[in-house]
Amino acid sequence: MKDKILNTVGKNLIPFIQIFGLYVIFHGHLSPGGGFAGGTIIGVSFILYRIIFGKEFVQNKLRFSLLIRFLTIGVFIYGVMKGYIFISGGSDLHWATPPLGIPGSIISGGFLLPLNIIVGTVVSVTMYFFYCLFEEGEI
Amino acid sequence: MKVFSIIMLIFLIFSSIAVSTMKSKLGSIIVFAVYSLIMAILWEQLEAPDLAITEAAVGAGITTVLLILTLSRIRSIKK
Repeated sequence: MKDKILNTVGKNLIPFIQIFGLYVIFHGHLSPGGGFAGGTIIGVSFILYRIIFGKEFVQNKLRFSLLIRFLTIGVFIYGVMKGYIFISGGSDLHWATPPLGIPGSIISGGFLLPLNIIVGTVVSVTMYFFYCLFEEGEI
Repeated sequence: MKVFSIIMLIFLIFSSIAVSTMKSKLGSIIVFAVYSLIMAILWEQLEAPDLAITEAAVGAGITTVLLILTLSRIRSIKK
């Protein structure tokens, strides 16, 4: 689309939406929010980007091969980490875990922060794919 | 805050009745977004801010966009 007002507003608004999504993801174990809510906000920013700047421009920036690589590697790492912590904690083996840290700081809570980041990545890419499939039938 | 919650609940009931009885398809989608917004306020009143964030992002954002896209795919409204 060649609308100047829409282009300017989108260019200035989208980074702030993404920063808020990253805040919700990274503070998911301290305050309300988490991987799903933050990932949805980042996915909404991708959808807004595609609505404003058109299909051809965004397909060069957010390539399908790159996004599907993020999605599959994220699901794989999530399965490995979650299975590790289930086996380790469920059968009282007490294998090595990340440090628990000071309660209230960002680096704390063991596996919670990396799991939140992976869930946020997978959910944002999935929301963007939903929009593309509903709009054109292809990504 | 109890009076405010009751007023919001009355709005919620009216908007959910209006979604199912409205003639226009686009209008019912817009009222559905209003329903999601009131529901987010109510989740916050019920001390579940986690659900409020998710309801505001998914219910009022993604679902409205997907429903409007579906309407334009079946050529009920012009793009």
